[in-house]
Amino acid sequence: MLPLLIVSFLFADKKREMMLPDLTIKLISGKKTRLSTLLEDGPILVEFWATWCAPCKKEMIFLEEYHKKYSDRGFRVLAISTDSPKSMSKIKSYIRAKKHTFLVGLDPSQEVAKKMNAMVMPTVLLIDKDRKVSWFHQGFVPGDEKEIEAQILKLLDINTQIESD
Amino acid sequence: MKRLILLFVAISSINAQISFTGNTETRIGESSSGYYYNETLINTNLQYSAFTNWIQLEYSDPPELGRPINGVRKFRLEYDNGPIQLKLGDLYEIWGRGLVLNSVDDQAIDRDTGIRGLTLMYNTDSFSTQFIAGRADISQSTINALGFNNRKHNYHTSHNLYGLNIEKLFGDHNLGFSFLQGLEKHPVNTFPSDTIDIKNQLHSLNYGYMSSLFDFYVEYIMSRSYEFDEDTWSSHATGRGLYGNLNLYFNLFSLNFEYINYRYATIDPVSRFNPVDYYGHSQPYQNPPVAVHIHENVLMNRISHQTDFNNEVGYKAELMGSFSDNIEFLSILSESNRTHSWVMDENFMWKKDKKLSSLPNYNPAAMPFNDFYSELTFRSFNNNLFIKLGYADTKDIVDLLQNTVTDTSQSLTYSLASAKTIPLNLSYSFSDGWSIESKIELQWLKKGYWWYEENNNEIIADSLMSIFLDDDGKRVEEEKNTFISFTVSKSPKWSLTLTSDRTSVKESFLENKSIINPLEKFLDINQEKNWVNIEFVYHLTTSMRLSLMYGSLKGGLLCTNGVCRIIEPFDDGFKVGLSTVF
Repeated sequence: MLPLLIVSFLFADKKREMMLPDLTIKLISGKKTRLSTLLEDGPILVEFWATWCAPCKKEMIFLEEYHKKYSDRGFRVLAISTDSPKSMSKIKSYIRAKKHTFLVGLDPSQEVAKKMNAMVMPTVLLIDKDRKVSWFHQGFVPGDEKEIEAQILKLLDINTQIESD
Repeated sequence: MKRLILLFVAISSINAQISFTGNTETRIGESSSGYYYNETLINTNLQYSAFTNWIQLEYSDPPELGRPINGVRKFRLEYDNGPIQLKLGDLYEIWGRGLVLNSVDDQAIDRDTGIRGLTLMYNTDSFSTQFIAGRADISQSTINALGFNNRKHNYHTSHNLYGLNIEKLFGDHNLGFSFLQGLEKHPVNTFPSDTIDIKNQLHSLNYGYMSSLFDFYVEYIMSRSYEFDEDTWSSHATGRGLYGNLNLYFNLFSLNFEYINYRYATIDPVSRFNPVDYYGHSQPYQNPPVAVHIHENVLMNRISHQTDFNNEVGYKAELMGSFSDNIEFLSILSESNRTHSWVMDENFMWKKDKKLSSLPNYNPAAMPFNDFYSELTFRSFNNNLFIKLGYADTKDIVDLLQNTVTDTSQSLTYSLASAKTIPLNLSYSFSDGWSIESKIELQWLKKGYWWYEENNNEIIADSLMSIFLDDDGKRVEEEKNTFISFTVSKSPKWSLTLTSDRTSVKESFLENKSIINPLEKFLDINQEKNWVNIEFVYHLTTSMRLSLMYGSLKGGLLCTNGVCRIIEPFDDGFKVGLSTVF
């Protein structure tokens, strides 16, 4: 077990960028899409959440703000719900009641969450156009929203620089 | 397996077409009451072209819950190419809303209903079909089998399954059909031990409609089971279930309504959670929706209702919306009960009494449950200040102990849990990443036996005999529970939380030895009625998270989605957790 842990810790170094597979994601509308299709316009921030997760819902207030603020630069937020069938009926009514406009995905069996290494709720991943994870964060405490915005801006600035070059 | 993982890592390093990611989670805990666990889970995901491979390794001795595993716990190979998808290995699939199939791996309560086998799917924009075949080995802890243990399962069944699910989209309308058959090896309480063969068949039809003003979903399921006896399959039981969901969207609020009506079996109040002697009814791989709200606060979850998946009728209505940009509200009402009331005959044997309507009923002999919850959320100062105040009122008739009725008298006894709870959550985020957060929950809990006695139209008794005793052994009507946590955090690096969980009376069913730890001595508290702990979470890097906990945790009932399990208390000990992503 020890060698495996050492290998995983070495690979957990933040300098190594995690490359995600081109996953299929089911949207709340019932349609299915690919991660690569969602990234066509620009980077996305993926949040894994559930209707019973209080910190997730706190975080979503800020994600909605950033989704609107940076959408003109191609940035979008995708909030993937991991609610099981026991609570999935209220996902849409929750999103509608809170007037969230970002994309919402469904992952009731947590297959996508496992493939994106989301072990705790909430987990956020900032993914660039090449499906590389530029930033990964587990949990949410008040104040994390400032770091999230800083990371979004960092990625958008890198993208702008690449495009102008 | 180690070589295999290292090989994956090597391959991913040299071949850019291969994507390799994974995570590890190590948890170690030891308390002075002898509770010890040491477990590591490693998940690896490897993708090459249309192939994906997921392997979960576990190294535990012992795990927090369940039996030790050293090696591969789960694996799955997937092929995903356009409309065709093939999966081979450990499958966790959901059909519709889970009335027929919802296989889960809930490690918090050690519940695994996964299927080891293969599934083939064909998906287009408007049509999807899935065939599944495999075997589900499902285990659980039950007092109805030998060797009951809270931490380790003592009863195991195996199910050879195959089935088909078809979904067709017609514009805004969706129509679905499912069929699943399971051949079950069911151990029975005989000496020497023996198993019987059961064939369980499930058929369901579902219909859904989506629009901008409302959504609607309904699913109807029929079940039939057969028992193999004397070289033939003979009919054993039939059942049915109905689930409905309606969402209405208005400008300022939305309404979510769910209805359940499960009638797989009507089993007497004493035996209804006995999976050994009562078989061929609802199946562990079904996991359908429940009419219970999943509370976010700690104290309410401890008295969560345990759903009887064989026999329950209920609804849940949830209204949520906003008064303004800063003030939001949520109100939930859920009610459920059994489909019949129950009485005892002259030999004190249970028999079905009245068949009740398809709507929840307040008849105590039908074991009703009701829960009302309401909350207000207030945000201000650019969302830096957050206040949430709630109120919950719950009443659950957990067990029916006696109900004898004659023309002139009635004697009714049942066990009851009822509580009023006020949760308050406050947080404020300062500049430079500093923030404070506090959660305060107050609960007035009644638990005990309600005794109702009537004779010749005269009520002789109608009162609660509480199970709570004060320090002098005197009976007290209610227990006051207080849960307080206070967190200081510096985003995005660390957070420190102090938690106090206090009761006003000693709970006899929880063994809590008088171990005074330095933290409790420092805070000058009575350990028998308090569980205090301090937890530090540190993000070593963005993908490595370390958590350290010291102190005590109150055990008790842990429920997720209507399924409950008793968790032992954790007294005066350390817990260490490390998670990494690679």
